[in-house]
Order: sequence, then C-alpha cells, then structure tokens
Amino acid sequence: MPRLVIDDLEIEVPKGTKVIDAAERLGIMIPRFCYHEALGAVGACRMCAVKFIEGPLKGVQMSCMIDAQDGMVVSTTDQEAVDFRKRVIEWLMINHPHDCPVCDEGGQCLLQDETVSSGHGRRRYPGRKRTYRNQYLGPFIAHEMNRCIHCYRCSRYYQEFSGYRDLGPLQIGNRVYFGRFKEGRLESPFSGNLVDICPTGVYTDIPARFKVRRWDLQRAPSVCINCPLGCNTIGNSHYRAVMRVEARMNPYVNGYFLCDEGRFGFSYTNGGADHAQRPWNSRISGADVTVEAALAESASKIAEISAIYGPGAVVALGSTRNSLETQSMLSRLCRRKGWQGPVWFNDPAIYRKVRSGVERLDSGIAVSMREIEFADFVIVAGADLLNEAPMAAMAIRQASRKNATIIVVDPRPISLPFEFRHIPAAPAQIERCLGSLVKGSISKDELKGFDSSAKGFCKALPAKFEEKESGISISELSGQLMSAKRPVIVCGTGIVCESTPAFAADCAQLLRESGKKAGLFYILPGASSFSSALLSGPETKTFSEILPQIEEGLIKALIATESDPFWDFPDRERLDRALSMLDLLVVIDYLPTETVKRATVFHPSSTVFEMNSTFVNQEGRVQHAERVHVGGVPIWGAHPPRIIRNFVPGGDHQPAWELLWKISAETSMLESVLTLGELIAAEIPVFEAVGHSKYPITEGRIIPENSEGSFVKPKASPAKGQTAKGFNLLLTDTIFASREPSAYADTLASVFPEATLFMHSGDANGAGLSEGDMVSVELELGAIQLKLSVSQRMARGFLFLPRQRGIHWQKMKEFSAWIAPERIRKI
Amino acid sequence: MAQPLVLFKNRHPNRVATLDEYRQSGGYAALERFIGGKIDPGEVVRLIDESGLRGRGGAGFPAGKKWEAVPKNAPFPRYLVANADEMEPGTFKDRILLHTDPHCVIEGMILAGYAFSATKGFFFIRPSYDSSAAIMERELEIARQSGFLGKSILGSGYSFDIVVHRSGGRYICGEATALLNAIMGKRPNPIKPPPYPTEKGLWDRPTVVNNVETLACVPHILRNGPQWFKDLSLTSKGAGTKLFCVSGKVNSPGAEELPMGTPLREIIEKHFGGMLPGSEFKACLPGGASTRFLTSEHYDVPMDFDDLKAIGNRLGTAAIMIFDQKTCLVATTHNLMKFFARESCGWCTPCREGLPYMRELLWLIENGEGKEEYIDTLRSMCKQVWNSYCALAPGAAEPVASLLEFFEDEVREHIRLKGCPFNAKAGN
Amino acid sequence: MLSEELKQELRKMIADAESSREKAVDVMLDIQEHHLWMSDEAMEEAAELLGMSPLELDELATFYDFIYRSPVGKYVIHVCDSAMCWLEGHQRVMDHISTSFNVPIGGTSPDGLFTLLPVCCIGYCDRAPAMVINRRVYGKLTPEKIDRILGRLARDNEFHPPE
Repeated sequence: MPRLVIDDLEIEVPKGTKVIDAAERLGIMIPRFCYHEALGAVGACRMCAVKFIEGPLKGVQMSCMIDAQDGMVVSTTDQEAVDFRKRVIEWLMINHPHDCPVCDEGGQCLLQDETVSSGHGRRRYPGRKRTYRNQYLGPFIAHEMNRCIHCYRCSRYYQEFSGYRDLGPLQIGNRVYFGRFKEGRLESPFSGNLVDICPTGVYTDIPARFKVRRWDLQRAPSVCINCPLGCNTIGNSHYRAVMRVEARMNPYVNGYFLCDEGRFGFSYTNGGADHAQRPWNSRISGADVTVEAALAESASKIAEISAIYGPGAVVALGSTRNSLETQSMLSRLCRRKGWQGPVWFNDPAIYRKVRSGVERLDSGIAVSMREIEFADFVIVAGADLLNEAPMAAMAIRQASRKNATIIVVDPRPISLPFEFRHIPAAPAQIERCLGSLVKGSISKDELKGFDSSAKGFCKALPAKFEEKESGISISELSGQLMSAKRPVIVCGTGIVCESTPAFAADCAQLLRESGKKAGLFYILPGASSFSSALLSGPETKTFSEILPQIEEGLIKALIATESDPFWDFPDRERLDRALSMLDLLVVIDYLPTETVKRATVFHPSSTVFEMNSTFVNQEGRVQHAERVHVGGVPIWGAHPPRIIRNFVPGGDHQPAWELLWKISAETSMLESVLTLGELIAAEIPVFEAVGHSKYPITEGRIIPENSEGSFVKPKASPAKGQTAKGFNLLLTDTIFASREPSAYADTLASVFPEATLFMHSGDANGAGLSEGDMVSVELELGAIQLKLSVSQRMARGFLFLPRQRGIHWQKMKEFSAWIAPERIRKI
Repeated sequence: MAQPLVLFKNRHPNRVATLDEYRQSGGYAALERFIGGKIDPGEVVRLIDESGLRGRGGAGFPAGKKWEAVPKNAPFPRYLVANADEMEPGTFKDRILLHTDPHCVIEGMILAGYAFSATKGFFFIRPSYDSSAAIMERELEIARQSGFLGKSILGSGYSFDIVVHRSGGRYICGEATALLNAIMGKRPNPIKPPPYPTEKGLWDRPTVVNNVETLACVPHILRNGPQWFKDLSLTSKGAGTKLFCVSGKVNSPGAEELPMGTPLREIIEKHFGGMLPGSEFKACLPGGASTRFLTSEHYDVPMDFDDLKAIGNRLGTAAIMIFDQKTCLVATTHNLMKFFARESCGWCTPCREGLPYMRELLWLIENGEGKEEYIDTLRSMCKQVWNSYCALAPGAAEPVASLLEFFEDEVREHIRLKGCPFNAKAGN
Repeated sequence: MLSEELKQELRKMIADAESSREKAVDVMLDIQEHHLWMSDEAMEEAAELLGMSPLELDELATFYDFIYRSPVGKYVIHVCDSAMCWLEGHQRVMDHISTSFNVPIGGTSPDGLFTLLPVCCIGYCDRAPAMVINRRVYGKLTPEKIDRILGRLARDNEFHPPE
C-alpha cells in the first residue's frame, strides 16, 4: 500500500487510489468539477491541480489523474498550484453568467463555492460572453446552457453510467454544447440525476424551479418508498410543501443516484399543485370533524362491533407502503384485540411468492445493489426491472460495463439500457430455463462433491431447454456461467410461478456449493414487502381470501391502514358491493384512494416526509426516514385562507401507528410498557436477536438466518404449448404509473406511459392486428380499450396489461385472465 | 543541386510515379526480401531502430521503439495507422509525397505492419487532401493486384490490407489518440495514456500510429541498411533526409527533400530561391504553427531534432514559415491563436477557454486597445496552458511565448501607438 | 429521403467496416454528395444505417468542419484563413468572391449556387492563398483565377481540374 504525504500529513492508501481521493481521506477536499467518484477521472476541467514536490512525479499535476505512489510529497497550497486553480476559475467564469441571484443552483453550486474559495472576484476578461440557445428537455429538467463549464459530467453520466443515447456533447472548442439532437423529453428514466451531478446550474429541477432559495429549505434524510429498493433520498421542504427530492449517497443501495419516479413522484404529499388532492381532514360519513371526534367514533364503533359480533368480525388491512412501525402496531393490535389480520396483500399468489422468497433469503446469499455492480454474470428471472425496480437496472448496467454477461428470462418485451440476452420464456418455463442454465454450469467433479440434497436437486434439474425464438444457446451460456465467479440471480415475484422464488434460491445455493460467490436479489412488490413477510405466518390471509367473509356478512368492520384494495383488486364491482355491506369502514391514509372515498370514518395519516419512520427494503436492509417537515396544507400556489387560527391547516395528520393505537384504545401499550423500538422487536423477533430494540433502530441488514437451507426438489414444469386457443392475460407494472404513492403525484401525470397492451407480433398477425392499433379487449366483466404494441421479443400466447393509474382494467374475476381470440378486436 | 534523393527520387512535375517506376527504382525489393523471404519481423524492428529513424509527424519519437512497444504476446487483430492528417499550419510535405510516390508509403506501411504483425492498416487522411486519398485508393488496388497487399503477401502467409479512412476535418484528429477515436467513430477527443495505443488502441487492440513520411523511409532503410540512412544526415546524431516544406516570404515556396541537419540559411537561400526581393528574414516558425519563432540570430542553425532543441525550439514537422521585416508578428500570432482556439476539441479548460482568452488579448493589442497588463497575463497563461490535457494548447502557446520573448518591443509598440505599426490587415 | 439505391450502397460500405460507427463520416460525406448537407431527416436515416442514435451521429457531425448541418449551396467554397493564406490575402479572396458572386461571407448566394466559408489551413501553404470547393483545392488565387473557376461552375456546372 503506497504511503504519501499530502500537506504535511502522511497517509497510506490502497493501491490504485487517486491522489484526489487520498487527500479526501485526510479531510482535504481538493477542488474539482469533472471528477466524480461514480464517473471516474477524465482530467477535463484541470481544477484539481496540485504540486508534486517529491517522489516519482514533479510539478503541477492533476490529482484526479495520478495514482498515489510511495514517496510522493504533495502540496495543495503551493503557490503555483493555487495560482493555476485560480486561473482555471477565471477561464470558466469568462463565460458564466452572473445570474446566481436567480439561479436555483445558488447556495449548492460547486462552481460558486470554488469561485469564492479561489479568491476570483474581479472580471478581467475584456471580451464578450458566449451564449447558447436552450432546449426543452421534458417536464423534469430545465436547461440553461449559458451556465455550462464543460466538465462533461452530464454526458458521461447520461451515456456511460446510465446507458442512454439522447444527450451528449455537440459542437467543438468553446462552443461545445450539451444537449439533444432535437428538443424533447429525455429518454432516460434516470434523467433527474443530471440535476445532482451538474456542478452548476445547467440542469435544474423543474418542479422546484424559482420557488425557493437553497438555504431556506428544510432538509432531512429520507427513504424512497415507491419501490422495494429503498433508495436513500433527501427531502427538501419549504412553506409546508415538499419542494424536491434529491439522491442521498448510500454505497450499498442507490450509490449517488435515483430514478425519476423516486425523485419526482413526491407531490402527493402536498396534495398536488392545488393542494386539493390530499384528504387533509378527519371525516365521519364524509363530513369534516375534529381529530378527537373521529378517533372517538372509530374507537367506540370498533368496540361496539367487537362486543356484538366478537373481535373476529373486525379485519385490519395493512399494506406494503406502511412503515415498519405501523406494521408492527397492526400486528400487535390484531393479536391483542383478536382482530383478523393484518392483511398485507390482495393477491394470494403474490403473497406466497413474497413469503417464500423472504424465507429463503439467507444473509450469506443476499446481495446488495452494490454487490450486483461487481457481479460477472447476472440472470434476471421474471422481472421487468425498468418498470418494477428501476435502480436495480442501473446496478446491473454497472456490471455490464465491467463485461458481465446479462441474461433476462422473461416473457415480456423487456428493454434495458445495456446489452443483454433475452430469453422470452413463458412464466411456466422460467424455472426450466434457469435450471438447465445452472445445471449446465456444474462440472462432474463439482457434482461429486455435493451433499445428497444438493446432488438430488442438481440431478433433478432439466438438462435441456430449447428456446427456438430467441436463438440463444443455453449450453453456451452455461459454459460462461461455469467460469463466472460472482454470479447473481435477480428473481421477480410478479409474473413468475409460485415456486419460482424458492427455486431461484435453490439455484443460487447450488452455484454457491459449486464454489462461486453466488448472490440472490429479489424484486418484491412494495416498499415494505420484506417486513410484511416477516410479520406473516402460514395463517396469514390475503384480502381475496377475506372478501367472501365480508360478502357472507361475517365481517362487519374493516380498518384499512394505508391500504387500498381498489388499487389492484381485479373485480371492482364485487369489491364495491362487498364494502357497502360493512357496518364500519375505518380508513387511515394520506392518499385520496377509492377506499378513502367510501370510508365511514377517515383519519389522515402522515406521509414519509412528515414523520420519523423505518422501512426494510427487499434485501432486508433497515433504513430510517427522518421527518422533513411538520406538514399541512402548503402555503404554495393557492394560498390558504388568511384566517387567524391557532392550528395548522391540514395539520391533523398523525403517523398511522399512532392513529391505530389511539383507535384501539390500548392506552397502556406505549406510554408505560413499550417504546417503538421494543414494539418492533417484540413483533419481529429478528430485531430482538440483532439487538435492535432501541429507537430509532440502527440501520443495517436484518436477514434471519435461513435454518432450512434445504433444496426443494424441482417440480416437472408443464410441457410447452397450450391446448386451448387464446391468450393468457397477465398484469404488469409500469414506471411512474403503477405504484402507490408515486402514481398519485401530479408531477408524474404528464409522463405516464400511454396505456398499451403487449402482444407477440406472430399472435397479432394471426389475429389481423398490428402495431399501434387501438384494440378493445373484452374482459370477463367488461371491455377496455387501449393501444396495441407488438413485439417479436416476447412469449407467444400472452397478453400483458399494465396495471397503471388511469386504465380501468378492474373488470376481471381473477388476477389473470384467459382471453379467447375473438375477444380482442381492432376498433 | 546534389540532393540525396530518397523519398523524392521518383518526383515528376504534375505526375504521380507509377508502380513500375517505383519498382525500377528499387521499390518493393525490401518487401520481397523481408516478407517474401519470411525474415523475422524482429529483424525489421532492429534495423529501423539502428537506423535512428525518428517520427516525422512532429514529436520525433523513435519509430522502432514504437513498434517494440507492442507486447510480443499482445492479442490480435493489431492495427497500423498511417497518419496523413497533416493539419499543422504550414505543413504540406505528406501531400507532396503522396502525389509523388504513393507506393513508397504503401510499401512502408506493409513493412511496418509486418514488424509488429499488424493485420490491418488504416490510412487516415484529411478531407482537403481528397486528391491524395483518391490516388492512394487507386494505387492500393494496384498493389493488391500485384500481390504486395492482401491475403498471404507474396505467398509468405502474412496477410495485411489497408483501407483509406477519410476524416471530417479537424486539427485535433492529427493527435494520435484523438485520431483513433475518430477512426472508431467517436468524438475525436484525445485520451491520455496509459494505456498506450500500442497496448490498447483501436477497439482496445494494439495499434501503432506512424506519420506518412516516417513510413516512407522504412523500405529505403531496409533496402540500403541503417548505416546508409544515418549517413544521409549532415549531423552526427541525425539520420536520413527530411522533407522540408517552406512557405511565406521566399521566392520558391514548396517542399524539398534535404539531408537532415541542413542549415536554415542554406535551405532558404539555396533550395527555396532566397527571400523575396525587398524582403529581409525577420523570423520563421521552423516546424509548423506550434513551434517558437526563430530569429535571425539562429539563421545558421542545422535543421535537426537535437540542434533545434538545443536552442529551445523544435523541428516539429519541418514546415518552415518565413516572415519578413514587413510582417507584423502580433497579427501573425493572433492569426495562429485564432486557428488553435477554433480547433481546440473543447475537452479541457485551459485549451477551450484559455486559448480564446489569449486570442482576444492579442486582437485587442493588434487593434490598438491593448493594455500593458495584457503582456503579463499572456505570459502567465503561456505557462499555465502547459497543464492542459494534450499537447494542443502548449503548442499553441509557443508562438505567443516566443513573440513575448523576442519581439516584446514590437508588442509594446502596438500598445503605445494604440494600433499596429505595420498597419497590416488582420482578419479576426 | 435517402433513395433506396443510396441506402443500399451505404449499407454495403458499413458492412465492410470493422465496426459500423467507423463509417460515420464516410456515410455523411456520401450523403452530402447527393443532398449537399445533412438535414435532420438525413441524420436520422444515416444514424439508423450506422446503428447509432441521431444524437451520437450529431456529436460527430457538429464536430467536423466538412459536415454541414445547415443548408449550403451547390458549391461550398472554403477559403483558407490560416497563417500563410492569411498573409497572402485570404481576406481579399473572400471579399472578391463575396462581391463578384453575390455570396455573403458565411452564407449562401441567393441562387443557391455558392456558400462561402473560412477554413483552417488546408495544407496548400506553398500555393497560398488557397481554397477548397467541394473537396477540390485551388491555390495561388488571383481575382482572375477565381473568376475563371467560379464562372465556369456557375455557367457550365464544371469544375476546373483541382490542383
């Protein structure tokens, strides 16, 4: 390890460390523009110049371009280096506009900071400033090219890091222009990172633009709850409105970046631009009441129903967007009060997949996104990452950049910003494909060394998988997998068969037994799926299984806590009828859901920005979101009535766990017996086991040790080919529009994808349909109209319907449907 | 004139030498002997190394050393690139060479390729040399049909082919790493080694970039031996002949092949017709626009790498631009700076922003709006642009630095008179 | 907008290359032979042939001097303005062309025949002042010589032999 001296301080750093990073380890921040840890060194801005006094190099050099070496003596304060850096600032400032007072970057601008710290304050350049025309880049990112200092961070991030090809450097010399071929929305769903990565104000966040000065923002570390990955964020609020969300660096989860859904999908917390789209007040039968009146009503009605019909006539619904605190409270209350539940999922199949996945995740095998970046072979089985967990696609892209082989086994027409081999296998074939791929990578010698259960599993794996359409040779891929050292299996829980998550775990385990550092990464359906599973047992029911009890009149009261069955229950009319039979529908939420509209009693709950809360992501990582602001109706846009009052308009919301506790009338629980941390540890033993009973809970991973670890003998997959003529219709997710709570954010509404049905082009040909046709699909309970998109890169015999806000698809009896050919027609 | 005609021995007015003419003068004999005779490629490298052949494109790097830098166990394919971008102002020797004896370049490329087992050659040429590109394409086909190029050359088992790659036209493309980016269809920004192109060049494969004139020397050296080549030079350390292209205030501008180390005075007065009537030698740029002004004090300097280095200058491309007493060197330097600022690729700050800054100051001085303090600013920037990413900006600073060193009085006179004492018309 | 014949020719050219991007400049120069300049439409079609995004191709097109992203005349006259040509009167050449053939400097003549642009050193310093017209070079320019060259282009649509 090289030892060197920087500004009279000695340090030893790992080989390959750049001098600029070595200095940072000493707390010396060498000025820089182009250098960024995630993007690497390119030596373009020349701002990080330092003087090398002794050692293998001498003179002024760029500290980002030079590896630390033994015997180096470096000065960052040497006059020649200081003068040069000051000159670089002068060069950059000859064209930079003096618009800091109206620039959103002001106050968080690297250029501003480094200009001030360099001491450059007087313009000496006698020439004119260069000007550019800006481009429209879509609803998220404003473009102000006159501010550009040409560090190339944006194009390097956009093209190299994130893999999109519609923004880059144009022109030459001092006219270099970063933009698009033509004006238009940026194609990347990771475009918001341009705002964070630009060292000055070329790219600014449109929703927050011209609204607030940086130093006036209330800021706190938060966590994104729009998908299971739990990317780390910073919430920024002003005048009771969340103004913007930025990425917060977490090396294990999201690195420096976020997807656009996570960054811009926050305005639900403000009730949208007009603040009217959030239920701010407590209500009884639709009429606004005080918090206390609503709590008293719920408490007494629940007690009454329990008394008459028994506590089993009360059901508590939770969801996978609940905080860990709320979930723990729900779990405790159900047990203590004898209520049914908690119920976390609508779809029994999804629930079983999540549970079997979480059960099989072992701390030895679970990988983080960071570890995926270093994988050399990635198999994605039944997951559409850009639409289900976008930042996971970014992690795999980094592996791809390091020449990892990427295979996607999924029936949908998957697109990803990197090269991958797509095997469009039907859901029932995914295990066959995965299994034969893994089996082919196990050598005879390795097989001999296995214990009997591993041997048995391996032998039972299908030897052959034929994929005619993709023309991909599985045996060739197996050969590559054989030489891989760090393979990762990414397994979805949406369209795959129920046995697939456990099967994927067995495959990963087998790869481990063959000496590889194999990893497993599940994509689960919501922010809190992992903890939902930890709080579930074999007896746990899903809403679909509860519904008949409501219909039979056995259940009289429903407490829906941040849970909206209407969001993804397939038969809306049936649900409506059933809910109308209830005596009591207590709803706790912050979104204006269909269930909220039907509430007997409604209690407004706090969003993730308005409370301290904990979430466990899909790899079992406990993360804390701090309260960003108190919340309430924002003073932005339509100003609230100027009436002098001693309360905050819209300030009634409370954390859902607190509301639950209050309506349960369990007075003793928190005040004297349990703290929140103890509550969580009491409900989820693994927390206690790792000593996490204090609050806030220490962040870290809490994967229970997998005691079983045994291989399940793979079932014989059904033979290929369907007997009946027709299509299997499956529901899928789509970015921006499919998930609570982000789909309620009006900031995203303009980028909702067009409602599109996906179909194999061969199937479409047979049905006389073609790309772009408007089609009507007759579901069991009514027809829907939408655009058709055809692809050759998907499984035949399937229709994929996005479950997105704005498409009224809930006309099905089950969570999937069989569609006879005559029921799809062109309109 | 007793000139040792090597590269120009087949020079005809307004006509390209044919393959037959080239062969009659000994052409392709080296190829037949070394490749046809399956002589170890290492021998080719050794002979070139021994001959002291240094790169003729400006940097003067020993050619043999560059080939040797390709690791013996390096992967295939391997590429050779002939750099015919020749965009250094004042330089046109390669164009004349290509219009004189293209097969000399072709044979040189094949032998160079053989030296490090290259599989394909790119002939990278600027767009204003379209006539040269057409000549090359025609003659390459002739070479192919004669068995000198393509699959298993002369039945040796060694295969090598050459394609002509036309540039879209930019000065930076002449920089070896930028050139490689250009061939690969990427933006031609330079890439700082390591890794060196000899290890990871085109498509991450070993690649050698040689200047056209350098390559043209190769067959002659292999045919006549390294000592013969060394003896061509007038200076003891030099080797070979050199194509000098002379332009500006002389009677017969053009390109001539002269022994390495021919004194500047002899070049101007004997070989290019002397100064124009009424013109006196004031200064010249001895090796293209990115070298320093050379004043009459060094009028007798031998034109060779080391001799010019000894007086703080560079041989560069040996493109000598000659200025007389009537030329305003402030305006000239401004013109050069305008060129460099416009041709900066825009990658690094000192070049992208610093050069236009210097151009602006020179323009103001030339047009009577100069201030004394500009001289200090220019001087310090001339030093500071050496911290640029590639060599473009340091080269661009050379004329300015030497202007301030040798002609400071002339600059100050502009400022004092609030205008150009030469009243020269300068374009902006 | 590109004819199928031209596309076929370009496809063949691209197929012969080590990688398709290698032919980006050649493809654009070829298209300009037929269509004079690279319109957005031409860029999009060329990018598709090359397997590049239009932006990626534009990164190159806007970098190079001899790729035109705005409409140009049938004959694009680049007059060298670097050291030697500048010294030998490049401005007089520009002015002469501009007044005699009604071409604004940096623009195109109203009849769409000529575009007049400066260019950096074209390597004809021994024949200064020099110019390039559609990749044909002419040096030692005098007003008479310019009149002959451009006059013949205007009148007969014929190039003088380049030098």
